[in-house]
Amino acid sequence: MTAVELHHGAASDVGLVREVNEDSYLATPPVFVVADGMGGHDGGDVASRIVVEEFGRLATNGYDPEHGAAVIAETLQACQGRIVEYAAAQRARGATGFRAGTTAVVAMLVEDAGTPQWLLANLGDSRAYRFRDGELDQVSVDHSLVQELVDSGAITEADAAVHPERHVITRALGVPEHRNDARADYFLLPLPSAERLLLCSDGVSGMLEAAEIAEILGRLEDPRDAADAVVAAAVAAGGRDNATAVVVDVVGLVRQDAYDAERQRGSLEEKLGALP
Amino acid sequence: MSEPSTWEREGAARSFQPGDWYAVLGPHVVVLLPPSQRQRAAATWSAVDAGAGFDEVLDAVLADGLRGLPAFALVGRRDPARSAVTALLRGPVRASFTADGETVAVDGDAAVTWVERTFATVQEMVLVAEPVAAGPQLPAGDGLVRVSRLQQPAAAAVPEPLPEPLPEALRVPEPEPEPAPQEASGLDLVEELLTEPVVVLPEPDDLPPVPPPAPGGAAVPPPPPFPPPAFDADQAGDHDGLTETGRGPAVEPSPATSRPVARLAFSHGETVDVDRPVVIGRAPEARRFEPHDQPRLVTVPSLHQEISATHVEVRPGAGADHGLAVATDLGSTNGTVVVQPGLGPEELRPGIPVQLLPGAVIDLGDGVTVHVTNP
Repeated sequence: MTAVELHHGAASDVGLVREVNEDSYLATPPVFVVADGMGGHDGGDVASRIVVEEFGRLATNGYDPEHGAAVIAETLQACQGRIVEYAAAQRARGATGFRAGTTAVVAMLVEDAGTPQWLLANLGDSRAYRFRDGELDQVSVDHSLVQELVDSGAITEADAAVHPERHVITRALGVPEHRNDARADYFLLPLPSAERLLLCSDGVSGMLEAAEIAEILGRLEDPRDAADAVVAAAVAAGGRDNATAVVVDVVGLVRQDAYDAERQRGSLEEKLGALP
Repeated sequence: MSEPSTWEREGAARSFQPGDWYAVLGPHVVVLLPPSQRQRAAATWSAVDAGAGFDEVLDAVLADGLRGLPAFALVGRRDPARSAVTALLRGPVRASFTADGETVAVDGDAAVTWVERTFATVQEMVLVAEPVAAGPQLPAGDGLVRVSRLQQPAAAAVPEPLPEPLPEALRVPEPEPEPAPQEASGLDLVEELLTEPVVVLPEPDDLPPVPPPAPGGAAVPPPPPFPPPAFDADQAGDHDGLTETGRGPAVEPSPATSRPVARLAFSHGETVDVDRPVVIGRAPEARRFEPHDQPRLVTVPSLHQEISATHVEVRPGAGADHGLAVATDLGSTNGTVVVQPGLGPEELRPGIPVQLLPGAVIDLGDGVTVHVTNP
C-alpha cells in the first residue's frame, strides 16, 4: 500500500494595476483549483469564490474517485447555476449591466482500478502545467480567441502572447451567452508523469515566459517557495493582472528511470566529457 | 369507458426522419433532446434503457437543471398499465396527437417552463423538432437515434380492459396489473422487467459509494496499492498532436451503456472490460475528453520502448459500430497491427477506428498483444 502524499504551495497577488483581486484558489488536497474572476468588484471575485467553495465541498465531503470527470462536470454545473443566479439577483437589485464570470482550472486526484491519477479540467484561459526534468509542459488548452487563431494557423504562439485580444476567452462559467460553453476539457495524467503541477491564472502565464516559470519551478524544491516565487516574478514583470499560482508535488513515488532515459543521459555525459 | 388503444405494441413501430436531434426511444417513453444536449441524451438513454418510468426519465432529463435545456419533449405513459399519454414539451418542439379522428396540436414554445398535456388515449403521435428534410421514413425500435421528426402510429385498437379502480389501501403496489389480453411478444418481457424495482441512476449500477473525507484532508481517498508505472523521460517527445484522445473520430455519442462490448486480455496478464474508452500505452495519458467519456488508462510494459507512451485506444463503437469495440491507433511511433479471426494482419491507420471482432488480436509491438473476447 502506497499512500499518495501531496505537498503544495499557493500564492496570489492583486498585481500592480488592478484594484481588486478577482482570482481565487483552493489548495485542499486532493483538490486544487485556480479561478480567475471577471466583472469587477463584487462580480468576478464572488464568481471565483463560488468555484472555490463548490470544489472545497468536494475536498471535505469526498467524492467518487472512479468517476472524477462526472464529479467535476456536476460541480462546474453547480458553480454555473450559482453564479448566474447571483448575477441575476444583483441586476434585479438595480445593478444594470452587472456581470460575473470566472475561469476555472482544476486538478483532482482520482483513481482507476486502484491506480491514482491526476484528473485535470479547464475552462477559459487559466492553465495547468506539469513540470518534470526541467521542462514545463502546458497540459491545458486555453479557451481563448488567440488560441483559436493559433489552432487555425492564423497566428503563431509568439503573436498570441502580444495579441491585443489575448484576454478574450471563449468559455467561462457564469456568462449567460456562454451558457452552452460552460463545458470543460478533461485530461488524465499518470502521477509519475506529473510529479509537479502548476495551476495559474493568466496574470502568471501572461506575464512570464515559459522558460522563466520553468527556471523557478526547477530551482525551488519546496512548493510553497515555488508558488510564492512564481507570483512574485509575475508581479515584478509588470503585474498587469491578478496573479495566482498553485504548485502541487506528488512525493514518495518510486521513480523508475526508463531504459532510454538512462541511455540518453549516458550519451550526453559522454559527449560533455563527464565520462571517459 | 372508452376503448383505449395500446401505446406500444409489436407492429406499431415508430418511424422517424433523420436529423440532428437526439431521440431516446423506450418501450413507454419517447424523449427528444436538442443537438447540444449530447450528455443529457446519453444519461437519459441510460435511464430509459434501465427501464425507468416516466417520472424517473423526467428526472434524468432534468438532472442537470432546466436552465441549460432550451428545449425537450417527453411523451409517454406515466402508468404503463393505463392508456393515458402525457406529453411535456419545452421550446421549439411541436407535437400532434390523434385519437378517434380528432387531432390536437401542442407547441412547446407556448410556456415558460414547459407545456404539459395528458390525453386519455392516443392513436397517432407526430413530434417535429426541426425543419424536416424530404426523405424516407425510417423504422425505429427502442434506442437512441438522431431525428428531425418522429411518428408513432398506433395499431388497431385492442380491447384492453382497465383494471377496476381499487380503493387506495387495497392496491398492491407490485407487480403492476398486466394489460390482460396482450398477446405474447418481446414486449411482455419488457413489461415484466418494468414491474421489478428499477434503479434510476443514469450511471452504472456498480457505482461505488462516495468515500468518506480523507482524514485531515491529508491525502487521497483510500490509499490504494500503487505499482508505479514505468517512468520515462522521453515521453514529452511523444506529444505529436495525434496522441490526443477522448475526442475519437466517432461523431455520435458512445452509447452510454455500462454493458461492456468486449473484454481485452493483455499478454501481461491484465484483463479489462471495454465499457468505456480504454487508452493503452507505455505511460498513457488522455487529453481533452468529455466528462461522460472518462477513459481507463492501461499501462503495458515495453522493455525496448517500442510502444508509444499513448499508443492505441479501444472504445465501445457508436453508430454502425454499436455493440462492438473499435480500435484506433493514436499516432503511435511504431504502429499497431490487428489480426481479425480468419484474416491476415492489418496495420491500423492513425486516427481511423477499426471494428474488433471477438477473437481479434491487437499487437502493440515489444511482445505485447491484446486478445479481444466477448465480455
